[in-house]
Amino acid sequence: MNTLIYTAGLGMVCLAMEILDLRKLLVPVILLGLAVIFGVNLMSWADSGPVIFAGLDMSSMLLVDHFSVAFNGVLIVAAAFLFAMSHDFYKDEQHHLSDYLTIIVFILCGAMVLTSYSNLVMMFLGIEIVSISLYILAGSRRHDLRSNEAGMKYFLMGSFASAVLLFGITLLYGASGSFKLTEIASYAATYGMDSPMFLVGSLLVVCAFLFKVAAVPFHFWSPDVYEGSPSLVTTLMATLVKVSFFAAFYRLMSSGFAGIDPHTSTILVIVAAATMIVGNLVALKQINFKRLLAYSGIAHAGYMLLAILSLKTNSASALLFYGATYILATIGAFAVALPVFSSTGKETIDAFDGLGRKKPFIAGMLTLSMLSLAGIPPLAGFLGKYYIFSEAIHNGYVAITLLAVITSIIGVYYYFKVILAMYTKAGEDTEIQFPMLYSIVGIICVALSILLGLWPGGLMGLL
Amino acid sequence: MEHTTQLVPLNWYLLLSTFLFCLGVMGVLIRRNAIIILMCIELMLNSVNMLLVAFSSYSGNSDGQVFVFFIMVVAAAEVAVGLALLVSIYRNLGSTDIDLLNKLKW
Amino acid sequence: MNQLIFISLSTLTIVSALFMVFSRKPMYSVLSLIFCFFTVAGHYILLNAQFLAITHVIVYAGAIMVLFLFVVMLLNLNTVADQIKTMGFRVAAMIGAGMLFLVLLASLKSTTLGTFSFPEDNGMGMVEHVGMRLFTDYLLPFEISSILFLSAMIGAVLLAKKEKR
Repeated sequence: MNTLIYTAGLGMVCLAMEILDLRKLLVPVILLGLAVIFGVNLMSWADSGPVIFAGLDMSSMLLVDHFSVAFNGVLIVAAAFLFAMSHDFYKDEQHHLSDYLTIIVFILCGAMVLTSYSNLVMMFLGIEIVSISLYILAGSRRHDLRSNEAGMKYFLMGSFASAVLLFGITLLYGASGSFKLTEIASYAATYGMDSPMFLVGSLLVVCAFLFKVAAVPFHFWSPDVYEGSPSLVTTLMATLVKVSFFAAFYRLMSSGFAGIDPHTSTILVIVAAATMIVGNLVALKQINFKRLLAYSGIAHAGYMLLAILSLKTNSASALLFYGATYILATIGAFAVALPVFSSTGKETIDAFDGLGRKKPFIAGMLTLSMLSLAGIPPLAGFLGKYYIFSEAIHNGYVAITLLAVITSIIGVYYYFKVILAMYTKAGEDTEIQFPMLYSIVGIICVALSILLGLWPGGLMGLL
Repeated sequence: MEHTTQLVPLNWYLLLSTFLFCLGVMGVLIRRNAIIILMCIELMLNSVNMLLVAFSSYSGNSDGQVFVFFIMVVAAAEVAVGLALLVSIYRNLGSTDIDLLNKLKW
Repeated sequence: MNQLIFISLSTLTIVSALFMVFSRKPMYSVLSLIFCFFTVAGHYILLNAQFLAITHVIVYAGAIMVLFLFVVMLLNLNTVADQIKTMGFRVAAMIGAGMLFLVLLASLKSTTLGTFSFPEDNGMGMVEHVGMRLFTDYLLPFEISSILFLSAMIGAVLLAKKEKR
């Protein structure tokens, strides 16, 4: 609860700093604030009392448990990386800097609501805070038609998905008479299967979530939006937002629907299989790096759906671990890609041509991030996949896990395409500007990826 | 006076809301003008609101009515952002036809 | 009596919604949607949600639709003709939406709605009761929605403001 309040307060501080004309201090102050918020979040780990807000017990709205605190910690770290990169990314747009950064802080607030809600009202508000802020950021390059298009497409499809979500929530309310997850869960346990209204409602809510996490067949928005948005916003969508939607999805399935009924399970198996296949196969022929990572993100969504299917003791920590490794690897890749894009003016894979010769150290960071995404040991990405797959096998999903292994082997090919471009191709002689903060973010991400790959216990034992 | 909830079956409201919702879905699919699509989404949200109020009144539980306020809040925010995006596209493109938005293709 | 009011209101709602979806001129669409929202407010009064009905008229007809009207007039969209997709697409969309309707209806029809107790009129829709709920049980979402508004406000200004060059 305090974590959420302080984060909202940080957003206000950002706005106030714009008025006081302190733009230069904005990024340091936000990073400092996030450090404080991380500490506050850590302190709430041991606190298991009811959530008190303005003297009222709000436990039926928000539930601070180990799940939410752990995911909040990961999201705060991811946000800190994004803010560190924003300093150089928005160098030419200083007059809008505070607007962008405030909106990202508010997205973090929405993501925190998503990890800790215990009421469908809060879930809906969290989803909308994140989505509406993202529509703005996706379309924020106003004079760039591609950014406009990305914003508009995301907005139209996203609001359509929100309407479907609302219809689902309404049917759940009509069937169970409440928005509280606990009461919905007890209704689901007693009458769930006999009530068509409840089943249709839960199906619609699941569909809306599948849209938000970009699972096939609701993925079509994601490559376009990832490609058209400003690159930092793409990073934000691919990392922080995607993982927070997965946390929310997991929370809904585990504490709202009290486990998965056979209908939903069948649907999710089919969707997960299609997501892995389509994500990995279509990624093979991409030449745009952001589109490539969009399809890679779709494929990873397919693997994370396995954790939601499993829903047993360890699957929450497997999802947490996978989410953290995915965030680290993706931010590590973008920390190299953003300065390369702005120096070369291209966003295709051949922008990386010859990077291995020109900047061997930076090329090494991108290589390690790509290997982690591909799931090559000893990097953390391998262990993340291992935990999720073994959870799925323990719960009897053998065939789909086999498919996941095969598709992730196919996936290695397109990650290597980027690595090969760096080391084997000659490339033009453009000077690549590489600001300090990007390399710091990249080094920390890669180092954490290696550390988690060698000592996974620190994160794995949390939940 | 007799109360509506005793005279009109709840199923009628279900029928009406579902019909309006599907009409909104169809409008989103067939129209090309972004502003009309946005209005169709508003229609979908309104059908949801009506169903929530109906459920709430028939069961004597005011949670549904309070939820409608939050849907209104979100709808207002969504429209403000959507129309701002629309205006900024119109400045670049001179049109609000979404079929002209085809710069991003696989 | 109430059934008659319900049927006539619903007919108006459906006709105006149909007109909104199929009208070729954006201005007519906006006006018929405003009319549609007034009939929905009528349904709210019928359902004893009086405060909500007033808020609905103020927010939807008064604020949201006026915003739509402004944009339609500002961008002069009313001169743009025929913006409906091709015939094949239209048929496909109609079949799709119709199937969705049938599926939803079939599943909802078979639900027994036995849990409803038909309560007496207890002032549930009045401002006193709704306000009480909103500022006690729902205080936290109420405050959280202010974050949403702030974000949307910054965004709307960011996106639509003319830039000084």
